[in-house]
Amino acid sequence: MQDLLRYAIKEAESLGASDAEAYAAASAESEVFIENNDVKLAKSQKTSSIGVRVLLNGSAGFYSVNSLTKSRIKDAAFMAVKIARVSPKDRHHSLPGRSKARMLSGIYDKKAESFAASDAARMAAEMLGEAKSYDSRVSVDSGNFNADVATHVLANSNGSELAERASVFSWSIMGMAIDGSDISNFDSQLGGSHSVKGIDVRAAAREFAETVVNSLGSRRIESFKGGMLLTPVAVNEMIQEGISHSINSDAVQKMSSHFAGKIGKNVSSDLLTVEDDATNVEGLGASSFDREGVPHHKNIVIEKGVLKKFLYNTYTARKDGVRSTGNASGSTVSPPSVSTTNFVVRPGGSRLDTLVSEMKNGIIISRFSGNVNPVNGDFSGVVKGGRLVKNGAVQHAVKEVMVAGNVFEALRRLNGVSRERKIIYDSILPYMRFGGISFTAG
Amino acid sequence: MNLMSDASVTDRLRTLISVSRGASYVEARYQARLTTEVNFVNGELERIRVVENAGCGIRVLVDGCWGFSSTNSLSSGALKESMGHSISAARVLAKTKKSKVTGLAASKMVAGTFRTSVNGSLSDIDIEQKVQIAREGEKAARSNKAVKAASCTYREMLDHKAIVNSDGADVEIYDSKPEFSVAAIARRGGQSATAHEGVGVTGGWNDLFKKNHLEYAVTASERAAKLLDARKISGSKSTLILDPAMVGLLSHESIGHMVEADFVLSGSMVKDKMGQQVASEHVTLVDSGRSEIMNNAGGTIIVDDEGVAAGRTAIIENGILKSFLHNRESAMMFGTASTGNARAFQYSDEPLIRMRNTFIEPGADKLADMIKETNHGYVVKGARNGQADANGEFMFGAEEVYLIENGKVKELMKGASISGNAFETLRSVDMVGDEFHYDIGTGYCGKYQPAKVDGGGPYIRCTAVIGGLQ
Repeated sequence: MQDLLRYAIKEAESLGASDAEAYAAASAESEVFIENNDVKLAKSQKTSSIGVRVLLNGSAGFYSVNSLTKSRIKDAAFMAVKIARVSPKDRHHSLPGRSKARMLSGIYDKKAESFAASDAARMAAEMLGEAKSYDSRVSVDSGNFNADVATHVLANSNGSELAERASVFSWSIMGMAIDGSDISNFDSQLGGSHSVKGIDVRAAAREFAETVVNSLGSRRIESFKGGMLLTPVAVNEMIQEGISHSINSDAVQKMSSHFAGKIGKNVSSDLLTVEDDATNVEGLGASSFDREGVPHHKNIVIEKGVLKKFLYNTYTARKDGVRSTGNASGSTVSPPSVSTTNFVVRPGGSRLDTLVSEMKNGIIISRFSGNVNPVNGDFSGVVKGGRLVKNGAVQHAVKEVMVAGNVFEALRRLNGVSRERKIIYDSILPYMRFGGISFTAG
Repeated sequence: MNLMSDASVTDRLRTLISVSRGASYVEARYQARLTTEVNFVNGELERIRVVENAGCGIRVLVDGCWGFSSTNSLSSGALKESMGHSISAARVLAKTKKSKVTGLAASKMVAGTFRTSVNGSLSDIDIEQKVQIAREGEKAARSNKAVKAASCTYREMLDHKAIVNSDGADVEIYDSKPEFSVAAIARRGGQSATAHEGVGVTGGWNDLFKKNHLEYAVTASERAAKLLDARKISGSKSTLILDPAMVGLLSHESIGHMVEADFVLSGSMVKDKMGQQVASEHVTLVDSGRSEIMNNAGGTIIVDDEGVAAGRTAIIENGILKSFLHNRESAMMFGTASTGNARAFQYSDEPLIRMRNTFIEPGADKLADMIKETNHGYVVKGARNGQADANGEFMFGAEEVYLIENGKVKELMKGASISGNAFETLRSVDMVGDEFHYDIGTGYCGKYQPAKVDGGGPYIRCTAVIGGLQ
């Protein structure tokens, strides 16, 4: 594939581009879908595509085609240059220099090559069976098991040439529990692994089944202010976006980050340490280099509540006169943007059951269904799979409870982080407990 | 786009279908999509990209199991190989699938070529003009001094599709869906407020810009500034007058998803409610692949991806639950006809039951009367994202909320969340306006794969919980 990428760069340069980058991906995928308590469809496919980015007199152009034939790549280079000619100039555009990435081990499992569609079907059936056998009231609305082996190749006119192969297995299960006319809230659980050995569909199925069964028999409650214990999934839904937006250099430069100007300052209680770590191979966001070919390494973003750094790609780094942190993101269908790789919250010192038993008056939230404004941190929504806790003991499931507050204020009232963590694709998150949250009865 | 000539695509698909063996049903869908996107943020070009995605998706039914495979190469060898993969995939399920697909509902298969009617072909508009529109829109969104950040996006999807199946569908479709959206963020001290405006249509350049692009931008700019000074709402159950966008979102999120037949089979709360009164008699709620009542609805599809005409389906008629949304498989299970709701986003996606344009039909009430007859309540406008649950609980955001006191519209309040039970809310509808608009055409619905949808309605008056921050 490197030859084709070199060809794309040469073509772009011959048309007048001062800099050019080609990024291609080829993948083979097997997927089995679950629907209505049964396997539904098996899918197998191969895809390949290339994105060509060019710079010309300070302007950028981008064109992508899902074909790796020379003639289509030539067209893509031509169109990318044509687009650059009508784009406004921006002196911050540049491509990173040649660099040597230390290649990660643990993101590619050779066994994935022989992982057949029939294996994917077996995994899907196992996940379904586990959930159904937990309790006869469990109804699985949908789910999937996906096995993907992909090769990513990048080259640029500064001499960078990189390639990496990764295998990713991922699975999800979603549904509810039904007991006569009592229908629980939805719950969904996910899992993932780079290796065949790491596949554990049963854990996701059990967690899903337990959550939906626990949310049967829900009762209305009075409005109150109290503690909030979020599961890793709920942390992902309510808290993570506010942080990942605020540590993104792009948001900082666009003045939409709440953390702008706060490097070295406290942004949370000292229980919180956040890492962006593409080298953590437990997370599905692991890879050796970023979308522009900058090598990945661990970035400690928040340490014991203190903001340490923002995340950069080459463009935003140049704007701030710093180095890229290796956070150029995106696929072959778009030019690079900035985002987290694996969002990792360090485990805390408390066990989950201790976090519950220490709660005087509060709610455990399995899922959060609502809106979070990542700019100002305001959130409001409905508690899903919520359970009322009084004097350290779980009382009952709750229904139609709204929760509202502010992520950044809540982080200052973070008063518990569990030792236990869950991997949610490219997030590794603990249970997190906050004080002084407003719950409104529906 | 230099892809396949029209004749050669359908010919190849026909040949492929004719040689399929061992499958009780074969469907081959070619789709070439050209996506163009230009996005300006805070005076700078944030992103410009053009993406071609073309190939063929093949779905087969073998021994009562579905298999799907796709390829980006359209050589006859690659197509045959992909068909082989699809058949093997289906066979893989034979051991684990409990209830086999017994057949597909008989449907009239569509044949012919269909072109979305466009006023101003998008291909004739130079990319330079698309850049200019987005640049000007972003600048105008910063026209109010309180606005400190803004963004404007122009996006278009041009599709060429061919659908051929072993039951006789033989369709070629040319579709065009442009959209334009603006966001303005006003800031003062530690306070910030965001306003969005936009339009998304099925049609051409002039269909998109019936209203000047700068009008959207200036409206967003001014509203963001006003929202800075707005008071917060405290949570309570209230009388609400929902605007067409909120009605579209309510129809889509809280009713539409619950009546998708695949979801009904999984245990949606509507499963035993067919023929029952589920909403007030003022409510007729429709999902249609056509652009009913007004032109250019963003979710218009003409024919679905199983080759069935995508017509009008009354989900609720005068308050009575009348129909679920079906593909051919679910229609067979329910002993009814497909409603033409099988949709795939790209060639590499398999068709799923998805909505199209979902709306409440207009009634006879004047908005002015609805306000006049409300003692205390809110006019709720500017739909943001929403979610709904299997038990009918829904919750979505609204950007623009006006207090009504003693029959008069008072001050603008900060954005809020609306929540409740979908059917309780629809049962509470006591007034339905006479004006109709589609207004969520910039939105995409997600269900493993995106779908371009639209929704709308008249203003309606109902009761639900409003409150919280957003």
